[in-house]
Amino acid sequence: RLIQMSLPNISRVPASRLLRSVRDLRWLLRSIAPLAVPRRALTQMGYRRPGQPREDKPPWWRVKFDLSKGLKGMKRHFQLLKEEFFAEFVGPMGKPIIEHMLEQNQVVWEFRGPHSLQEWTISCDREIGGKSEIYLKIGKNNETCLLYGTLCSDPPKDGETRYSGYCTMRAKQPLASFDRKKYHDWSSFNTLHLRIRGDGRPWMINIIAETYYTHQKDDMYSYFLYTRGGPYWQDVKIPFSKFFLAHRGRVQDDQHRLWLDKINAIGFTLGDKADGPFQLEIDFIGVCKDYAHTEDFAYEKYKRNPEV
Amino acid sequence: MTPLIYSTLIISLGIGTTLTFASTHWYLAWMGIEINTLAIIPLMTQSHSPRATEATTKYFFAQATASATLLFAATSNAFFTGSWDILQTNNPLSYTLMTLALAMKIGLAPLHSWMPEVMQGLTLLTGLILSTWQKLAPFCLIYQIQPHSPNLFMALGLLSIVAGGWGGFNQVQLRKILAYSSIAHLGWMVLILSFSPPLTLVAFSTYLMMTFSLFYSFMMTKTTHINSLSTSWAKIPTLTALTPLILLSLGGLPPLTGFLPKWMILQELTKQDLALVAVLAALFSLFSLYFYLRLSYTMTLTMPPNNPAGTLPWRLNPSHNTLPP
Repeated sequence: RLIQMSLPNISRVPASRLLRSVRDLRWLLRSIAPLAVPRRALTQMGYRRPGQPREDKPPWWRVKFDLSKGLKGMKRHFQLLKEEFFAEFVGPMGKPIIEHMLEQNQVVWEFRGPHSLQEWTISCDREIGGKSEIYLKIGKNNETCLLYGTLCSDPPKDGETRYSGYCTMRAKQPLASFDRKKYHDWSSFNTLHLRIRGDGRPWMINIIAETYYTHQKDDMYSYFLYTRGGPYWQDVKIPFSKFFLAHRGRVQDDQHRLWLDKINAIGFTLGDKADGPFQLEIDFIGVCKDYAHTEDFAYEKYKRNPEV
Repeated sequence: MTPLIYSTLIISLGIGTTLTFASTHWYLAWMGIEINTLAIIPLMTQSHSPRATEATTKYFFAQATASATLLFAATSNAFFTGSWDILQTNNPLSYTLMTLALAMKIGLAPLHSWMPEVMQGLTLLTGLILSTWQKLAPFCLIYQIQPHSPNLFMALGLLSIVAGGWGGFNQVQLRKILAYSSIAHLGWMVLILSFSPPLTLVAFSTYLMMTFSLFYSFMMTKTTHINSLSTSWAKIPTLTALTPLILLSLGGLPPLTGFLPKWMILQELTKQDLALVAVLAALFSLFSLYFYLRLSYTMTLTMPPNNPAGTLPWRLNPSHNTLPP
């Protein structure tokens, strides 16, 4: 029935003279096709990966009611709440104050088993219709993680996307009891320390800090990670003062330093436009305090407007 | 910020507080408070970082809500009693609303949740203004409201002492610790307000002196975290030896100044047959004392790891005249 609708038929719809300029019928027909649920419920239900079938069900239908799962969830959350409560009596962030004071290095993420991969999420331009591939697995002896795949810069043929070719791995936001957001507090440290083994490709490290306004939700602080291709491991130490502010990948004019008291996640992105396979092996990601590094922010801030 | 704008804002801060001090009409007092709020907003967003903007937004929301409630309460008092005079606040509903609005203004529990986040986003100087100067005008109004029943003030006071102590228990950010310290001290002041207003003034004045000194010490050593406080001995050794006195004074330990208001408040509460309230206030103050002691411990009583270059600033920076010539 939908296919039989031709362009002259559609033109009879009021205020449709402009529709005659439409060449591709598919997106147009999809927009006027009747659906079982209202359009608003579908567009606001969340992200749908391209290629996944569209769920034409109302939101309350999609909930899976399972009493045993719910009870297990409640037990887990109350257990977490109890642990958080008693951790307060130990010290800040569950550690004694003396340990907090003496700590100069802290390993934040390490890969010691398949459970470590649950803390990470991977993504590539396949989300927007591209052809890259990305996979994450635990390395040999359960000591490292291996991020590998194939980068392909061919843009998807949808008529509007011009650039493509990215692969990324990002840590998930830590959650406290009852799925409340928890933050990493790195204010005692000033350097990011990674032990990695790459294939010579340049990566981008992105640190996502907590923001307040919705227009800041895509803000991230980025810096470059140049990998050596050799069989030897690479210890990379990047001071946090070097990270610059970007929004959706675009470097901002109004720069400021990264505030370390509420960090949500860290991510690695590859987008060097070199098609082909890639590999990145990560041993650990940690933070450390370098007393010799006293720089607050590496970039000068220029006054763009006359001072008021 | 140009000196002209900066001085305009500072003068506006002064004018706002003075206006509230000098007024007997609720409208004028409210106006003075609003001038104060509006004057400090640009000072808070000076640094343009997202955290400062967030702090300013939260501060504005809290203060605007409180101001609206205060104005509504004053108007309803005028409606019921026919008087706009601050000293003639007789209607119970208006009086309660005003108290709650002013409690939110100064950050008394249970309306205190905006305070630590706001302080965390500000520079130490702006935090100092927020903790000291911005409390004067609302406190002046609280002082003038004739208390019909002491229960509300006692409840606010006790809750603030508990919240201030419990909230600052495991903080490592100095600005948040100072925010919780402020909440706890305001609790002590409000606790005794119904029985002996001069004691509230004594407590307030000692709080102002101690908080100003502590903020200034942190500004001189440029520390905002407990770990950077622990290496501040290398910057100004004399200050490192004196700051624990300020901290323990805030904690209320004799024979330091901060003990005086607490002692007198406990004595007055006992005279009013409120020994239980006095015991509870003293016990919950132990939480606050714990984190003041912890700060003293990390700053002065321990020697944390440092590198040789980090131990030299006191030799190289002659601008701090805290060493004997």
